[in-house]
Order: sequence, then structure tokens, then C-alpha cells
Amino acid sequence: MADKKIKTNDKARIFKRYDDLFNCSRCGSCTSYCPVYKNTGDEAVSPRGKLSLIEAISQGKLDFTEKISDKIYTCTVCGYCDSECPSGVKINELYEEMRQDLVDSEKYPQALDFLKRRLSEAYNVTFDTNEGRIDWTKQIPDSKPEDFLKDSADVFYFVGCVSSFSPRTFSIPRAIVQIFKKADVDFGLLGDEEWCCGFPLLSSGMKSEAKKLADHNIARVKEKKAKTLITSCPSCYHTWKHEYSKISSEKIDFEIMHISQYILKLIDERKIKLNKLDLKVAYHDPCDLGRNSGVYDEPRKVIEAIPGIDFIELAANRNLANCCGGGGNLESLDAGLSGKIAQSRAREIIEADVDILLSACQQCERTLAAALKKLKKEAKRKIKVRDIAELVLESMNAK
Amino acid sequence: MNTKDINKIKEIAGEENVILSEEERHCYSYDSTRLEHMPEVVVRANSTRQISDIFKFASAEKIPVTPRGAATGLSGGCLAVNGGILLLMIDMDKILDVNPVDLLIDVEAGIITEEVDAEARKHGLFYPPDPGTVKTSTIGGNIAENAGGLRGLKYGVTKNYVNALEAVLPNGDIVNFGTRTVKGVTGYNMVDLMSGSEGTLAVITKATLRLLPVPPAKASILALFDTIEEAAKSVRDIVSGGVITSTLEIIDKVTINAIEDYLGAGLNRDIGAMLLIEVDGQQGAVDSEAEVVKKVCNSNNALSCRQASSDQERDEIWRARRAALSSLARVRPSTILEDATVPRSRIVEMVEAVNNIAKKYELPIGTFGHAGDGNLHPTILTDMRDKKEVIKVEKAIEDIFKAAIELGGTLSGEHGIGISKAGYLRMEIDKGSYEIMKRVKKAFDPDNILNPGKIFTDL
Repeated sequence: MADKKIKTNDKARIFKRYDDLFNCSRCGSCTSYCPVYKNTGDEAVSPRGKLSLIEAISQGKLDFTEKISDKIYTCTVCGYCDSECPSGVKINELYEEMRQDLVDSEKYPQALDFLKRRLSEAYNVTFDTNEGRIDWTKQIPDSKPEDFLKDSADVFYFVGCVSSFSPRTFSIPRAIVQIFKKADVDFGLLGDEEWCCGFPLLSSGMKSEAKKLADHNIARVKEKKAKTLITSCPSCYHTWKHEYSKISSEKIDFEIMHISQYILKLIDERKIKLNKLDLKVAYHDPCDLGRNSGVYDEPRKVIEAIPGIDFIELAANRNLANCCGGGGNLESLDAGLSGKIAQSRAREIIEADVDILLSACQQCERTLAAALKKLKKEAKRKIKVRDIAELVLESMNAK
Repeated sequence: MNTKDINKIKEIAGEENVILSEEERHCYSYDSTRLEHMPEVVVRANSTRQISDIFKFASAEKIPVTPRGAATGLSGGCLAVNGGILLLMIDMDKILDVNPVDLLIDVEAGIITEEVDAEARKHGLFYPPDPGTVKTSTIGGNIAENAGGLRGLKYGVTKNYVNALEAVLPNGDIVNFGTRTVKGVTGYNMVDLMSGSEGTLAVITKATLRLLPVPPAKASILALFDTIEEAAKSVRDIVSGGVITSTLEIIDKVTINAIEDYLGAGLNRDIGAMLLIEVDGQQGAVDSEAEVVKKVCNSNNALSCRQASSDQERDEIWRARRAALSSLARVRPSTILEDATVPRSRIVEMVEAVNNIAKKYELPIGTFGHAGDGNLHPTILTDMRDKKEVIKVEKAIEDIFKAAIELGGTLSGEHGIGISKAGYLRMEIDKGSYEIMKRVKKAFDPDNILNPGKIFTDL
């Protein structure tokens, strides 16, 4: 045990966390929640297993190895284990520190190098250059892309990398912009001055790289004298709302809202009128909006404000909602497992037997739509996947 | 084990089912006792035939084999104390058949207990045993440990619901014990012998379990008391008053305060104890039983006695009980959960004994648990890294065992002996019983290759 020398990274943060690690009683409760464990049966990727590995490292029983790195990174960062742990172990925090340690000792998955490089060169997670940030606005009726780039406005909409560059999700920002226009909101977009929020770096353990992005983004929004910053991506929201103040020295002097919260505000202020839609819908709580940010009620209130909607709660909802599989960087590290997790969640949606599955996250929508398509033979009816903003726009446009 | 052995295991089990890396094996070295014993190889079991072949090889080569379900045990039952092969059962998790007329369900041993119940409920039935780990533990593990839980008083424990078993003996023979009938006296009752055998006699691969119709009505009652004695007296009087409740749980002052620290649910910190009582059955019976329960509690000076009028209220009542162990677990780094059990009529004395032990060793001990079964969970809050305190904890545990046995009780109500209590077994069991148990073990496993190091200290 003790005779085994620690070969790498003797400055590791994890060596200081033995007290927190020791709080894990190894009861195994987390194995009933963890999506990566439930879909692999691999104890080493379960929270209990990961913590036992981290503890073994902190005690010098095991070394930092590629294998441990693989296990630690097999995670959707859904936070279910952290919120339900009976002993209150700070699992999210411990994972975060462990991932930083693995980055420091250069034991992180190679796939993350691409991410790191792209974000330092092109400031977005795709293969495109950042100039294309608002190409999606071209199809919006009665407007030109330049109309949205303003020097100042009350509200700035931070679109996020996926919705900006992935054509399959363009319908979300397009719906949001049209809602804003109809409600006469004084809003603008940052265009190529919008950089990735840094979430993929933070969830990889690359805090210092994420800081550069945070500093830049906060400074740009401040320059625009915005009163409110809105995101549609829950991970952007979580990062802006809960992480930026921890990593950036720039002070945030504006309000940060998720689009579901802002739409509810518009409804309450009677700035938008919702018309009847005869649809049976369910809502999937995105991990970064629900469990990790505590926003559960606003999306539900928005849905229930639409006349004619038959709203069904999924069996696992709110803080107990299961992950869509698309969280963290799992999709780029293990697409097969990510897809399997998505199918588990899709089966719960099929059980609810609805016309539309709503979410408030482009990533959940992408992964769940793909999974529902794969499982379409199991469903009694065709289940469409939409964003809350899209449904709100549809209701506004309905007769 | 040498490379030749490993290669042979790969050949038998399928290479994809064999786990060898040190990092991964480490994750199969522990259970809920927090003790660690490294297996030399982990094999993911996927069929009875495969397991049988592994045993044929292991018994020929005298390699230890330790079965493991979800590793939630509290006595070290699934730890590979002599190394060798750890047999991982979780992939054998299928429901094979449900028969609503025979009230039976056939499952593979690695299925999670809650999933058995969920399947039964699709047919208006339920699987009564309800151990605390119902969401995580496997049926195979439950049977091997004869797991108990919250519904013991009325519904009994795991062994009461096992009708038949398929199992693999240490020599590789596949055996079928029990019947699919209500009655069956053909030969020894091997099913009951397997229940609680702690995985030392055979590896359970399939189980035929009994189900019951879901009772149409239930009532939940929360009663608060000034003293734990009054609560314990109520337990006694409820049963002697002719009511067998489905649940009868007690929570003591230390635990109430821990829950309040954690949840801030507005519990009165000054009360001595609370009882959570549930009765179920036909509506008329539930109503009259609930009246008896309330009358008994009130006549034992209950400060309040409230029946939940909605599901929401019922959930609130249960919230505190569900949080009991978590709340205690947050107080100090280690929680030692004991399960010494006494006859129901001796609960008051047992509670007193535990309180005296807590005082004697200056250790915080929270007590909660299944009062209706006499199965309390004195939970010692400690830090197992503190060597001096560990000595005190060990003495306190021994005193708790002694107290339980003096009151006509037992060392373990539901967690098993394993390695945690092996050293104390002879405190309760006479020499003759101990010797015959060893001979039973030897009859099944002459070379002591199946789950060695458990229950007996001298095999």
C-alpha cells in the first residue's frame, strides 16, 4: 500500500480531499441513479466506484492512469448522484477537482484536445469559424442579420454554440428571436463577439482556459449596457449564472435569465398572447436547468399558460429526472453509451404517450429526438420533440 | 492464480466478461462495510451454464469464488477475502415469468428488488419484502442475506417469499430446490437453508418468488412521545391489542435532532421519540385498526397522534423516516449501523441498554428502526480513522450484542454475519449448532472455495 510511490502530480488537489472522500459510506445508493452505471453495469464508472478510485489515488494506493481517466470522464455531469447522495458527499466538486488533476497530469482523453484547440482558436465547439455565429438569422422573415447586431439594447440573447452552428437546432433561436420581435423586446445578439461560454472546458477540468472565455463574454455584454442576458442553452445558463462569478474577475452587473424564465415574464406582463393548441405534451427537465440550477417551475408555468394543452408529468421529473445522455462531453467521448442513455430516457417518454416532448435545451432535444426515432416502433404514436420556445411561438401564431 | 488459470477463465467465461485491471478490480473490492479485499479476477456472469463451468474449473484448481450482487451489504458478504474470482451477478437480471393465478414470479438472481415489485404491480400484485436498499440491491443478494426491511411485522422477510431456487453448487452441479406449490414437503427444506446462507453454500441463479395482491387501502399515522419508553410501550400495546401493522417504525431523540439538522422540517427537537405506523388491508379493517392504534398511542400519553389524510401528507410523514440514516450519516464521517434484534416485548429494555452504552463510551448513538420486529438500528456515529475511537466503538458494539442476547435476542436481524460479526457468532450459538453448521458448509463445499472466510472463523 504505502510503499507504492506516487509518480505523477504530487501537487494534486485530490490529496487534500480525503475527508470529503471518506464521507462516502459506499452504500451504493448512487448506482440506482447514475445513467452511465445503469447503462453499463460497470462499477468503476458509478459514482461510488469513481470516488473509490479517487480515494485510492489520494491515499497513494493507485496512480493516475489512463484507465482511471477514462472512468472519471465517463460521466454526463447530470448531477443526480450529487443531489441524492444520502451522506451528502460533495460529488460534483470532487469530480471537478479530479478532472483538473487529470488535466494537470496530462491524463485526460485526447478527444478533449480538439475541444481545447478549437476554443482557443475559433471560440466555438464546431468546425466552423466564429464569423458564422448568426448565419441562422438569414431565414427570419422581415429582417437582415445585421439588424440584430446592436451597440446597446436592454436584452442580449446569448445563443450558445450548438444553436448557432448546428442546423438541426436553428429552429430554437429563430423561434426566440420571433417571440422577441412580436413582444417588442429591445434585444440584440453578440454575433462573432459571442464566444463559447466555457462549459465544455469547465466540465473537462480546464478552468484556466474557461476563464479567458468568461472574461471576454462578460466584458462584451457589459459594453453593450445590457440589463438582462438571456440564454436558451441550460449549460450556458448554468455557467453564466453559477460558474462565472467563481472563475472570472469581471463583475456581472446585469440579470441572467433562462429563456423559459423570460418568456414567463413576458406572459405575466401580457406582452405576448397565447392561443389554443390541442396537444398532449410532456416536459423533460434538462439537468443543467433543473437539478444543477434549480429552475423547475418556470418552464412548467409557461407550458400550462398555453390554452388547450394537456400537460403530463413524466414518471421521473424535476430533481429526479433522468439525463438525456447528452450531458457533459460524453457524446464526443463515447457516442454509443450516450445513445444508450438517451434510449432509456426515450422509453420513459414513450410510456407517457404524448404528441410532443418538450424540453428547454437544444442538446436534450437533439439526443432525445434521435433516440425516439430509433425506438419509433415501440411508441403508440409519433412523438415530436420541440423546445418550449417553439411551442410558445406556435401558440402565438395559432388562430 | 497464474496466467494459465486466467486464460482458462477467459476461455470459459468469454474474454469480454473478464475484468483484470487493478483499477477496475479495486472497484469490486468493497461493499457497504467500507472494508476492501481485492479479487484477482472479476467475472461477469451471464448464464447458469457459464457459472457451472467456472465452478468446475475453480473446484478442480481450488480457486476461491465469491458471488457479488450490488455490494450494498453491511456484513462483508460479497468481499473476496481470499482473493480468487469475484462472480458478478448483475447481468443476470431478467424477469422470466409472472403467474397471477399461482401468485409467483420467476426472475434471474441479479435483478434489482424494486424491479421485481414494479413488475408485480403491473398485475395488481406486490413483492412484500422491502429492505432499505430496495432500489439498489439484487434479489440474489436479498435471498443470500435473508434481507428484512420495513414490512417485517405483518409480511415477514425475504425467506417468506422464496418458493423455489435454481442454484449452482461449488462442484458445478446445477440444482433446483423447492416447488411451485403452496405446500410442498418433499425432502429437506433446502430453500429455507439457502435463505440467509450468505452465499456460502451455493450461488443462486434463479428464484421463484411469492407475490400478494396489493391491499386496497392503507392508513399512515405519526405519533409523538415525550419519552422513548412511552413509544416502546405503544408498540407492545398495539400488537397485544390485536393489530398487526404493516409498518411500525421508531425514531429516537438523537435521530430526530439529526433529521432536523439536515431537513429543517420543523420537527420538535424536545420530544423523546416518534412512531410511524402503517396499517393496510380492506378499507373497513384499516379504519378500525387505525382507531385502535390511535387509542393505544393516546393512552400511552402521546403528545400528538396524526393520521395522514392525503398522499401528500403521507409522504411528509415518511420523509423524516426515509431521511433518518442519511441524516445520521451527515453528523460524523462514519456510521456503524447495527441490527441486533430482540423480542418485541423487550424493546424498552433494549433501548435503555443502548442509551447506557452510548453514555458509557461517550459515543453518539442514534436509534431508529423496525420497532414492530424488535429490530432496532443503533447507529454509532464515529470516525473510523480515529484508532482510539475505533477501540471504543468495538467495545460498544460488543456490549450491544451482549445486551441483545441477554434479552433473548440475536446478533443480527437482517444484515448477516459475514466477516463483520463472525468473531461474535459463538456468543449466541452453542457449540453443537456451530459444529453442525460447519458440517453443512462442508457437505456443500468440501474444499471451502465458495465465499471463504465468512460466518466461520475456523474453517
